[in-house]
Amino acid sequence: MAIRTEELLMNIGPQHPSTHGVLRVVVKVDGEIIVDAEPVVGYLHRGTEKLAEDLQYTQIIPYTDRLDYLASMINNHAIVGAVEKAMDLEVPERAEHLRVIVAELQRIASHLVFFGTYLLDLGAMSPFLYVFAEREKIIDLFNRLCGARLTFNYMRVGGVKWDTPEGWVEEAKQFVQHLKKQMDMYHELVTGNEIFLNRVKGIGKFDTETAINFAMSGINLRSTGFNWDLRKNKPYSIYDRFDFDVVVGENGDCYDRYMCHLKEIEQSLRIVEQALDQIPEGPVMGKVPKILRVPAGEYYSAVEGARGELGVYIVSEGKDKPYRLKFRRPSFVNLQLLPKLLVGQSMSNLIAILGAVDIVLGEVDA
Amino acid sequence: MSEENKAPEETVKPEEPAKTETQSEAPKAEAKPEAPKADAAPEAPKAEATPEAKPAAPKPAAAAKPAAEKAPEPEKEPDPRLIEAQQRLETIKGKIATKFGDAAIEEADVKKITPTLVIKPEYWVDTVEYVKTDPSLLFFYPEAMAGTDYKDKGYIEVFTLLHSFELDYDIALKVRGARDNGSVPSITPIFSGFNWEEREIYDLLGLRFEGHPDLRRIMLEEEWQGHPLRKDYVVMD
Repeated sequence: MAIRTEELLMNIGPQHPSTHGVLRVVVKVDGEIIVDAEPVVGYLHRGTEKLAEDLQYTQIIPYTDRLDYLASMINNHAIVGAVEKAMDLEVPERAEHLRVIVAELQRIASHLVFFGTYLLDLGAMSPFLYVFAEREKIIDLFNRLCGARLTFNYMRVGGVKWDTPEGWVEEAKQFVQHLKKQMDMYHELVTGNEIFLNRVKGIGKFDTETAINFAMSGINLRSTGFNWDLRKNKPYSIYDRFDFDVVVGENGDCYDRYMCHLKEIEQSLRIVEQALDQIPEGPVMGKVPKILRVPAGEYYSAVEGARGELGVYIVSEGKDKPYRLKFRRPSFVNLQLLPKLLVGQSMSNLIAILGAVDIVLGEVDA
Repeated sequence: MSEENKAPEETVKPEEPAKTETQSEAPKAEAKPEAPKADAAPEAPKAEATPEAKPAAPKPAAAAKPAAEKAPEPEKEPDPRLIEAQQRLETIKGKIATKFGDAAIEEADVKKITPTLVIKPEYWVDTVEYVKTDPSLLFFYPEAMAGTDYKDKGYIEVFTLLHSFELDYDIALKVRGARDNGSVPSITPIFSGFNWEEREIYDLLGLRFEGHPDLRRIMLEEEWQGHPLRKDYVVMD
């Protein structure tokens, strides 16, 4: 006698601790196996692009803090970089160095959060507590630099808002040395753990061709073994002066994405170290007009965000406000592949796969 | 997979004869056969990686070319990146025109340093497919997509940025659809990565994409009235 089975429709989120924000995933399951999955986004849509049309360029910067709120500094870098490129503005050396330092520290902080929350998703509680202690030190450094802990609003078109307080560079150097030692401990604690390896190896796999067709970028693309990092391939700011390697994976599974995050922290530490050694004295703001008017035309420029290519497309009519501003948000684009990864997997892998795609809902929804 | 293609050298070729012609007018080039080579080097797509390093080299040819095509400030020293972009634009424009005829291209221009082509909607899907698959172009990385409402001109423009790993540069392709009940063909079947981007444009600008597999609103709820990114949208207080 056959047991009666039926497909079940399940709602994950929008309020669920493992979706890292207000993401809803509607999954159809047959027993334990996922037959169909559909991410539903938009719960955090604030209309940043519409708001930006009524704001002057400097006024847009704090709004970008709220896109990917784990990597606000890099968002700042994207918008100011786009305006500077459009207007061909010069940025003083010290400001460029400070930008690289804070952007890379921010990348480290963001990847540390990934590391902690990903393991939390998989049931390991303690790494979360370890990494948040380290992240706190980065946040403290930023706090001393610009007075904010999450939404920094630190960069300006033509430079940065504040110079470093006394002793900041030394403190940052000490932190870099400290975190270098910590990294070994993380690997010791987690990377070799058999339970962890069983949950992530060979799970959520995709190849380079799929990743490129789905417009993926950042670690999601690199984990498949494809070498593509905007800091190297389309150098912006002063990244071409630093010696660092682009971290790539091999198989494009969750394990590779985890490893890429950790290895990228090490590379970012290298960049920060070099930048802290080379940072020159001087002004932190260049000569910029009081009211920024981007010449009429269209501009696209992108930076390597913590989650992938963070692009800014500006259409200007020559006024002090953009006619149209579009953010190419890596989380939004990367999330499209999720249904493809989930189909055929067991329900317990859903969180492991979603966590490794590494999205931030503030950026998905803009 | 993509590293071992030898295409880049070949694609620049159609440009090179034109270039050497301008140079051969100068007496120097005739005397020294080495000269044109040194000048032609920065045109190779690989050179893009170091735009700062080579402003001196293309100077002689630069004076003639951009002055004729784009002359906002003839006094200023022309940007080598702009000359490069002009040549790329001509190459791609030529290729598309040979394939589909001149009628396929509505406008062609360099925006800042990106070659930008506006394609007629009838040719949109075929052109995108062509630049993606043609072995001398291979623009198969869909980098970005954006929609803009040009209220005064009466159309909504879709901007797409494609990257070719072989040629190592970007091109922007655009298509325009009418503001009122307009639609353009969808390229989601070609680039899966544009699925949600097209949905977002439909949601926020109200331009429909024919042939899209799943055209629904994505940011706002289905019952929402109007499309917020349109210039005539009245924001609720």
